[in-house]
Amino acid sequence: MTRALLLATALSIALPCAAADKGDAEAGKFKVYTCAGCHGIVGWHNAYPNYHVPKIGGQNYEYLIAALNGYKKGERSHPTMRAQGESLSDQDIRDIATYLSSLAP
Amino acid sequence: MIEMNRISAMKRFAALLAPVALMLAAPAFAAGDVDAGKAKSVTCQACHGADGNAGVDPQYPRLAGQYADYLSRALHEYKSGERKNPIMAGFATTLSDTDIQDLSAYFASLPGSKLTDLHGHIEGE
Repeated sequence: MTRALLLATALSIALPCAAADKGDAEAGKFKVYTCAGCHGIVGWHNAYPNYHVPKIGGQNYEYLIAALNGYKKGERSHPTMRAQGESLSDQDIRDIATYLSSLAP
Repeated sequence: MIEMNRISAMKRFAALLAPVALMLAAPAFAAGDVDAGKAKSVTCQACHGADGNAGVDPQYPRLAGQYADYLSRALHEYKSGERKNPIMAGFATTLSDTDIQDLSAYFASLPGSKLTDLHGHIEGE
């Protein structure tokens, strides 16, 4: 009985946190419109320096959050992505990461 | 007339050759050794998975099937500190340029990639 109560308490704390942490995939679907300019073209290269724009569809959620925040804070140096990151709210980043991580090849 | 035909044929030949020369030059620039990369990838697998899909902990990125030149760029940035991440800085500083090329080639070559470009995934497209 005590164990069941403990489990229920733990779940009731954990579940809302997990839910609040994830974004809205439907909202994210619209917010990735800008991303497609570079990430939407198969095999597309950066103008300079010359390497492929990475595949981000299907990437892991928490990594996407960390990467976008890294650009936003200047911990990653790509100029275009820094400008993009700075224009995004925390909610935008969660929505975009939720949508992108839901994609499959 | 015959002379003109010859010039025109030469031009056509040159036009055909140019893209071939470009294609030959490009891989020589950054191609790593997939087998060598596999041997060097044991440490990476702890977080990025044996299949490169980082299926255990979503804080780590999936690498399988990512573009090799992007992976290479990212590793060089972790190494130089241009991209700040304490975990990756620790690993990347131990890698030579050849190690980076080999590892990038290996992870790019892995089958079963879960990554995709956004083509076909955009509203209104």
